[in-house]
Amino acid sequence: MEKFKQNPIVKKIGFNRIVLIGVLILMYFLFGALCAAMGRASFFTLARVYSAMNYAYFMGFLAIGVTFVIATGGIDFSIGPVMFCSALISGYMLTKQNVPLIVCLIVSIIVGTIFGLINGYLVAYLDMPSFITSMASMMLAKGIGSAYTKTQSVSWPQGTEAAGWYRNLVKIGNGSAAIPTGLIILAIASIIFAIILNKTKAGRYILCLGSNKEAVRLSGVDVRIWEALAYILCGMLAGIAAIFYVGAYTTVQPGMGDTFNNEAIASCVMGGTSMSGGIASIAGTFIGVLIIAMLQEGILAMGFQKDYQFVITGIIVILAVYADIRSRRRRN
Amino acid sequence: MGDIILTMKGIDKSFPGVHALDHVDLEVRKGEVLALMGENGAGKSTLMKVLTGIYKKDEGTITYEGKEIEFENPRAAQAAGVVIVHQELNMLSHLTVAQNIFIGREIMNGQIINDEKMNEESVKLFQKLGIEIDPKEKMGNLTVGKQQMCEIAKAISHDAKVIIFDEPSAALTEAEIEELFKIIRDLRDKGMGIVYISHRMDEIKVITDRVTVMRDGTYVGTLITKDCTKDDIINMMVGRVIYEDPKTQSAVAKDAPVVLKVEHLNAGKMVRDVSFELHKGEILGFSGLMGAGRTETARALFGADPKEGGDIYINGEKVTINTPMDAVNHGIGYLSEDRKRYGIVVGKSVAENTTMATLKEFMSGLFINKKKEDEVAWKYVESLKTKTPTVDTEVVNLSGGNQQKVVIAKWLTRNCDILIFDEPTRGIDVGAKSEIYTLMNELVAQGKSIIMISSEMTEVLRMSDRIVVMCEGRKTGEIDIAEATQENIMQLATQRN
Repeated sequence: MEKFKQNPIVKKIGFNRIVLIGVLILMYFLFGALCAAMGRASFFTLARVYSAMNYAYFMGFLAIGVTFVIATGGIDFSIGPVMFCSALISGYMLTKQNVPLIVCLIVSIIVGTIFGLINGYLVAYLDMPSFITSMASMMLAKGIGSAYTKTQSVSWPQGTEAAGWYRNLVKIGNGSAAIPTGLIILAIASIIFAIILNKTKAGRYILCLGSNKEAVRLSGVDVRIWEALAYILCGMLAGIAAIFYVGAYTTVQPGMGDTFNNEAIASCVMGGTSMSGGIASIAGTFIGVLIIAMLQEGILAMGFQKDYQFVITGIIVILAVYADIRSRRRRN
Repeated sequence: MGDIILTMKGIDKSFPGVHALDHVDLEVRKGEVLALMGENGAGKSTLMKVLTGIYKKDEGTITYEGKEIEFENPRAAQAAGVVIVHQELNMLSHLTVAQNIFIGREIMNGQIINDEKMNEESVKLFQKLGIEIDPKEKMGNLTVGKQQMCEIAKAISHDAKVIIFDEPSAALTEAEIEELFKIIRDLRDKGMGIVYISHRMDEIKVITDRVTVMRDGTYVGTLITKDCTKDDIINMMVGRVIYEDPKTQSAVAKDAPVVLKVEHLNAGKMVRDVSFELHKGEILGFSGLMGAGRTETARALFGADPKEGGDIYINGEKVTINTPMDAVNHGIGYLSEDRKRYGIVVGKSVAENTTMATLKEFMSGLFINKKKEDEVAWKYVESLKTKTPTVDTEVVNLSGGNQQKVVIAKWLTRNCDILIFDEPTRGIDVGAKSEIYTLMNELVAQGKSIIMISSEMTEVLRMSDRIVVMCEGRKTGEIDIAEATQENIMQLATQRN
């Protein structure tokens, strides 16, 4: 085992990530076996894979965003409802107010970014605890989204309609010949944000201030800008996630979205991002998202309700946080 | 003075790398106030912690009421009647006075807490002390002085026979101190043994019967207070032995330009009207006792804490410093006394910490130029002789001295001309210490200027060209190194209003 850990290729990818990929593959076959044992339709179909990926796309953007916030040592509980708020406002504009699609997509991103700005300002400049501010903006997002659409749900256009081309962002074509554009975009976005986190000044300062904000401040760095930036990126990505959500599912209901927060945060923690800040991995988050999506799909395929998924996600979060704390204790 | 109630004999205690107590003796009698004195780090607090079971002693015996004992923990010590009134009050401000006094041993009525009974008992305690405090008042609403009284009430409620006061007067006003002394005399007259730890020379003369002096973890001696002078005590505290050669003459030219001038700096209670000048190539020592306001002065100057007033001139030009960023932009670097909290990011690498203040210069477009960053980090690892396997090693894995070098590298990379070294050798072993000293001398030889805050007298006398002494947030004097002695520094450091 030690020898395997010391292998240069293993070290490069990261032992924890290899374990996660192993878990992902194991889960796939486990769900397959369970479905077969329960006499349900086969889990090993392309349709199942696409369905799981639909869930992974929007979840991926949410999780990447919240990875930045957690890297600063903060938390954002508003991303799910902010995503829905974005989708509701822009969708209402598109379907009821005849605003062109491209403008609506931009509006979606702007709405998310505004929530990010609010959270970032309150946390970084007014020193409010992120736990509370993001709870508050979660309620704001739910209320505003719902008020804007007069508590109606919004159905974005189908792919066959004129304004339905946005769905190509998720998938082009149908059946086995379909191109999973969503996966390509998410993968590219993951790489870009991984580079931002690891290779740029913003990422460097975000990780450092997550580890010891006061030491960074006393080095003459304006920590507030960088801390706020993490929340702004997170909000912006929630706005982008909205596009991929409606691209996959078309319909959004007001007053919902909080369950996605927990799953996005769970993805981060599973992927090795430390809840106490300073350590974060976009690649880990990416794999974490795939696991969450697989879980969702597997539970569904077995014919269980979403509550089973909550139970399992809850257990996973506890295990992941426990592993994080243990490895931290060993380091000190 | 009565019989001996407590004897500590040959108490020895080592921590990794530090011999904190070297066969220390202490004797407390019934009905006396014994002062325990010594410089910062002399071992007073450690000795009291050994007594009350917070630390385990390595050697020695403690005899209490004629029996040899060793308390398992402070609770056991309390139960036996040995209690400490801490300098930092351990109070829960949102609970009532009575609830605080009886915390951990609430008077119960079955499973319900009996607040009424606790209030009654508190009143009885206050009556014993001859003071009046409403037991139903929230602790947070009381003045610090009254809170201290409650702490004392709590102590005597344990049926205390020995009470240790750890710098009780630090936060009190004159009137409150008067009242405190009245209570202490009262307790003494009731036959309790009292240990009084304080730096305030005048108080020692007023309130104590005997003085035991410690220095560098050793027992120096005990004097009868009324037969000795302040100077006798100071001489015992500083000792005649000087371990390292002090500087005899300033290395700074008489006409060296002033690089930093601070005028009438005010910030909170701990920085009151502080003015001083720093010359090019000078090491300006800041001496004083714990809580003299030296770190607070440095932090206010650096923009780390808000200021209420004061002017700062750099190279003759007036500047505004409101944040650390302003200070750094004006070429000031600050090495904190608390490295792990304020100096380095322990979870990050040597290279990342080195470029923390200068990241802008290591960018190639949008990206950090890792190669250039590593080169500079290596350059300083080599020139400062930092012991680290690679520059990618997390600084948490480095020793204290090497961590300090990483912080120094950070400011050297920034090319700061004014460096504030706040306790630069705290928690650093002897070898690394002299390396840091050599480095500081090299830096001033290169034309940089250093403000060095230090609680170690020998360090101050060895490194400084000039010494500013502070006491209670005020600058009480300035001494050229040629005239500086341990005695005159200590004199200024204890010169209170």
